[in-house]
Amino acid sequence: MTETTRRPSELPAHLSHELRNALACIQQFGNILVDGLAGEMSSEQREYLGIMMENASKIRRLLDSALDGNVGPLGKSTNKIERISKLES
Amino acid sequence: MDSRKILIVDDNADIRLGMHLRLKANQYQTFFAADAISGVAEAQKHQPDLIILDLGLPGGDGFSVMESLNKIPALATIPIVVVSARDVMGNQKRAFEAGARAFLQKPVNDDELLAVVRQALGEPAATKKPTLHDQASV
Repeated sequence: MTETTRRPSELPAHLSHELRNALACIQQFGNILVDGLAGEMSSEQREYLGIMMENASKIRRLLDSALDGNVGPLGKSTNKIERISKLES
Repeated sequence: MDSRKILIVDDNADIRLGMHLRLKANQYQTFFAADAISGVAEAQKHQPDLIILDLGLPGGDGFSVMESLNKIPALATIPIVVVSARDVMGNQKRAFEAGARAFLQKPVNDDELLAVVRQALGEPAATKKPTLHDQASV
C-alpha cells in the first residue's frame, strides 16, 4: 500500500513503525559514539551527545504511550506492553 | 576461538551498520541481507550461528524467512532473534510460533540485544560493554 492510499485507521501503526526505525538508528549510533566505538570525544561533545540521547529517550517514552495503544480511550494509561524475550535466564 | 557468525537481515542500511559496529566490537563476525529472499540465500551461504531478523522486509517478510529456513534441515536449528519496529501484540506470538528465540521491539537497547544474542548462543553474560580502549588492546 502506498503512502497516498493508506487508510487513516492504519496511520498510527505505520507512524509508530517508521518512528521506531528512525529512533532505533538515532539511539544505536548515539550509543556507538557514547561508548567510544568511533573514537574519543571531548567532555563537551559527550555532554551535548548526552542531551541528545536523553531527548531521544523522551521521544521513545512518548511513542510508547501515545502511539502503541498504551493509552485508554479516556486518556487513562493502561498497562505498558513490555518487550518480552522468550529466552529465560 | 573463531568468532561466531551472525547474519543481520534488515532492509534499513543504517540499522545494519549500527548492529554491525556493535557486534563487531563484541568479537562477532557479521553478514548482511536486505530482503527476505537474500536473507535465506545468505543463511545458506554462510551457515551463521545466529540470525537477527527484521519482520518488515521486501520480497516477503520475516515470517516467510523463518518458514523457508525451517524447511532446510541445515538451517532450521539456527537461533533467530526477531528485532522489529512492528507492534508486539500480534507479532510476538506469531514470531515465537514460527520458531524465533526472542522478540525485541525497536528501538533496541544495545545491552539488551547483546544479552539476548549471548543467551541464544549459549555464551556467558558480559560484565561490561567494550570501549575504544578494549578494542585497541585486542
